[in-house]
Amino acid sequence: MLLKNTYNEFIKILAKPRSYLGIGALTLLVLLILFAMKADGKSFISFVTASFEQTLSFNGNILNGNLIAFIILQMLIVHIPLLVSLVTGDLISGEAAMGTIRMMATKPISRTQIVLSKFIAGAVYTFILTLWLGFLALIVGKWMFGTGDLIVLNSDGLVILKEQDILWRYGLSFGVAYLALLTISTLSICLSAFAENSIGPIVSTMSIIILFTIMDVSVFDSIKPFLFTTHMASWRSFFEDPVPWTTIRNSVSILVIHNIVLVLIAVYKFNKKDITS
Amino acid sequence: MKAILSLLFFVHSFAVFSQEVDADVVIQQVVQKLNTVKDYSVEANIKTNIPLIKIMPVNASIYFKQKDKFKVVSKGIAILPKQGFTDVNTFLMNKGSYMAVSSGTKTIGEVKTNLITVIPTGETSEIILAKLWIDTKRDVILRSQVTTRSSGTVIVDYTYGAEVQFGLPNQLTFTIDVKKFKMPKSVAADLNKTDQQKKKTADKDQKGTIVIKLTNYKVNKGISDAVFKEK
Repeated sequence: MLLKNTYNEFIKILAKPRSYLGIGALTLLVLLILFAMKADGKSFISFVTASFEQTLSFNGNILNGNLIAFIILQMLIVHIPLLVSLVTGDLISGEAAMGTIRMMATKPISRTQIVLSKFIAGAVYTFILTLWLGFLALIVGKWMFGTGDLIVLNSDGLVILKEQDILWRYGLSFGVAYLALLTISTLSICLSAFAENSIGPIVSTMSIIILFTIMDVSVFDSIKPFLFTTHMASWRSFFEDPVPWTTIRNSVSILVIHNIVLVLIAVYKFNKKDITS
Repeated sequence: MKAILSLLFFVHSFAVFSQEVDADVVIQQVVQKLNTVKDYSVEANIKTNIPLIKIMPVNASIYFKQKDKFKVVSKGIAILPKQGFTDVNTFLMNKGSYMAVSSGTKTIGEVKTNLITVIPTGETSEIILAKLWIDTKRDVILRSQVTTRSSGTVIVDYTYGAEVQFGLPNQLTFTIDVKKFKMPKSVAADLNKTDQQKKKTADKDQKGTIVIKLTNYKVNKGISDAVFKEK
């Protein structure tokens, strides 16, 4: 029953134009970045290497598909949460607004299963979005710019990774990036359980992300490590040398805990909810 | 008394004159040797050990053609010092552009060298000052310390092998001052690191080295100009 309902939920996502809006916007953004990099990528590179270039010269194909994918991932991971919540924030509250949730609750499926099927459908949509981002960034990027070593600028210096040492890092970093986006999806569905209209959960999700992100003041240092926004960029850690596995494990744990707690809250709320629409 | 002073003045003037002549001769002998190389290609293994840069050793091919054509071809990203390969040689070949002064002798390893200080005569020269430790028996530079306007001071240690007859080294060790390297903050966003961690890494002001091992020299075999064109 859960799988059948999940399938139905996914059909509903596919039927909504806004689902394609996210993928379309993502495609447009990536193509714009690719075009900009093709036109003026070298000045971006010199911005990164400027402080070294007085003394050192960098030889080889620096502006390659691997670097482009990294730049795209870094630029867009801030914006994709909006595209995710645009669809997932509507999953429960949208039906509440339309009145269809009442009919669903009369079917021989538990409320817990209804909520879980929505979470799974949201997770699948988020996965497709992440996969599409990976395809555009890495495959199209490599097709346009070729391949080569990856030069990454961290706060403690430059790391240059060998071409043959990059693909597994991308695989795992897309995995962690997906987990971060999944947290956004879960958060928006959770907020959706509390709302009766579509806009509320979407705006609330983005507000929470912005609020947590701008809390970059020392006063909040004690709570910052526990906020999911702190760990949304942990995909970047795979491009450090050596890879800080403990930090990544910690980030993954925090994100997984967030997901579990948010799902539980949503299930609890939906089970207790008076469906009056 | 006057006779003694005159004698001292004469001896001093002669000493200074002979030093200047020696320095020029020493440099010209080095230049003469370098001039026998019209072009060369060589395989390079580059090991970079610079505090703010993490990079594995890289293999590259280096091409040179008189007078100042120089190109590095590598499959991956190779980091090389901006100066120290050909610029000193090119500078020394232009005899009228500098003044050479002998600054005594110094032993490097077990080799006795003449320390020559080279001062450019032009005001716009990129090189401000160069100190060259020259092995006069083999007419090769064993160490150079070059200060330029844009790159600061770079020390290069040269080791020679089979191509010493051309004055071409088989290993170069560059020592670079990395104090002025600064990371651009806007692109170095690293959310997982605290400010204290960032400060700790930023305080690592020290020197970096780049060791280049050169093998499989092909000297004066002819290299097409197309090799040096940008791709």
